[in-house]
Amino acid sequence: MDVLHYLSIGFSVALTPLNLGLVLAGCFIGTLIGSLPGIGPINGVAILLPLAYSIGLPPESALILLAGVYYGAEYGGRISSILLNVPGDAGAIMTTLDGYPMAKRGEGGRALALSAVSSFFGSMGALLLMVIFAPLLSKLAIQFGPSEYVWLMIFAFTCLATMVGKRPIKTVVGVVIGLLFATVGIDSGTGVLRFTMGIPNLFDGVDFLVVVIGMFAISEVLILLESWARNDLKLTPVGKSFISFSDIMAVKWVIFRSTLSGFLIGVLPGTGASIASAVAYGTEKRFAEGKDEHFGNGDIRGLAAPEAANNASAAGSMVPMLTLGIPGSGTTAILLGALMMFNITPGPLLFEQQPNIAWGLIASMFIGNIALLVMNLPMIGVFVKLLSIKQSYLVPIIVMLTFVGIYSIHGDTFDLFFMIVLGVFAFILRKLGFSLAPVILGLVLGEVLEENLRRALSISGGDWSILLNGTMTYVLAIATVAALTAPRILKTLKK
Amino acid sequence: MLYDRIFAGVSLVLSGLIAWTAYHFDVPFQYEPLGPKAFPIILSIILAACCVWMMVKPDQNVWRPNKEVFTKIAIGLVIMVLYAVLFEEAGFIISTTIVGAIFSWLFGEKPLKAFLYALVLSLVSYFLLADLMELNVPTGLLLGDF
Repeated sequence: MDVLHYLSIGFSVALTPLNLGLVLAGCFIGTLIGSLPGIGPINGVAILLPLAYSIGLPPESALILLAGVYYGAEYGGRISSILLNVPGDAGAIMTTLDGYPMAKRGEGGRALALSAVSSFFGSMGALLLMVIFAPLLSKLAIQFGPSEYVWLMIFAFTCLATMVGKRPIKTVVGVVIGLLFATVGIDSGTGVLRFTMGIPNLFDGVDFLVVVIGMFAISEVLILLESWARNDLKLTPVGKSFISFSDIMAVKWVIFRSTLSGFLIGVLPGTGASIASAVAYGTEKRFAEGKDEHFGNGDIRGLAAPEAANNASAAGSMVPMLTLGIPGSGTTAILLGALMMFNITPGPLLFEQQPNIAWGLIASMFIGNIALLVMNLPMIGVFVKLLSIKQSYLVPIIVMLTFVGIYSIHGDTFDLFFMIVLGVFAFILRKLGFSLAPVILGLVLGEVLEENLRRALSISGGDWSILLNGTMTYVLAIATVAALTAPRILKTLKK
Repeated sequence: MLYDRIFAGVSLVLSGLIAWTAYHFDVPFQYEPLGPKAFPIILSIILAACCVWMMVKPDQNVWRPNKEVFTKIAIGLVIMVLYAVLFEEAGFIISTTIVGAIFSWLFGEKPLKAFLYALVLSLVSYFLLADLMELNVPTGLLLGDF
């Protein structure tokens, strides 16, 4: 068995003392970040990325740490959803619907434990699917040429536009802004300077870290400043109740179905935890119709479904990132950018040429998941206490970490100013209802898209028909059209 | 409605500028048919089309900041710019203490407590970041690193 052989390589990487420590640290920090209201996985990974880069970890270790933060935060997001009715990020919104009513009934402990168990099975199931499907997908992707890649990226952007946010047009604008960011700097093909405005710091292009930190962390601080004036959070007591075996048996099929759909939605490029949890919740609600349902009033099925699905989608979204170099979610777009900073190009060859990275990461996720379950059942009180940390203590730490992180990359204050400018820009975008994930996706994929487009047209001598040449390009083109029209067709069918 | 239209208008002008700049890139040699101009021009056309669409069909405004919110955001921004100015010159410890104290105060802490918190935070983090993690943290005035 090839897979088992590679998996054993992965575990030998993941079980080195350094990496084992980093998995545990990542999961712990992630749960902590996820449990803080207002700061989700994407901000957590963004804030820690420059630190991980600057302390000079080897690439697989840095990736293991950041991925741990990612799925740890996906795990921790439920704590503030259940106890405060405040979702840490979009992926945790559905958890509030039934989690908070349970906590209000005094079943906070039961809700937290049940959601931890659902999260665990969701991620584990998705990891098994990942082990099976990722190598197959990478084998298929090896046959991809430039035209196929161009289509793949157009498909990714189309999925993103039709599924994320209320206004597809704003997602497209976001993607284009990201793609335009990617064109800044010296053009690799001809050496021409593009859009640098004569600023030497921009000759190498806009720094990925500066954009990510500016757009996510700085704009988040501005959002926090804004919202502080309005709400004050009341913590619901956890209570003594705990999960029973019959609870788990009652939701076993819910978890199974939600894991499958969460994984599949995670694999689709551009879509992430928010859609996965919404779909899983909706499905279970329909399944339970008429069968003693209390959805929205603290039904355990309504809690288990989104939790299993959003954790499954976190694992699922790693699959296209590792095998195709196309991130499945905003957070994996940041992870992809992190890999590129280490001069590693994710894609079909990663699994064969650098199995220590791809399989080390997968193996570390198995370890991390077990660690998360262990951390979350007995240690839940620790994280609950952290919820009461005041924002007046938290915000200075966030601001400090972003500044140190960005400064330590080049030791240049230009980056700090640029980061603030981008933060204001991102704040305006968020206030106008734009989502930031498309911008990051555009930034990460911009260079690859342009390079492949130019390569394809070089091969054909400028003939655009090369983009529709071969079975795979047709399949991807049809998939793109389907992604574009499916939501409309579904809408008319419903009527 | 208004915000969306303003944004779309500004972006429309910007997309025109991008296309114009890209069109005038001075390309000394070129081996491939597409070159460095085409991609930005294609993008600016897409952006322009989206902006026109947004102008025709803008969203409702949901954001209505009051004066207090606006002041807080403005102070927060000024503080961050100040942090960027001071970071290298005054060094990490001094600038973090000042900025951390103001942020802590902005989020509702009493002035003295905010200052003490920021002082402890900056000292502890300095040793964590500079000594333990060996990051490039500017010492500035305090330790005379010029």
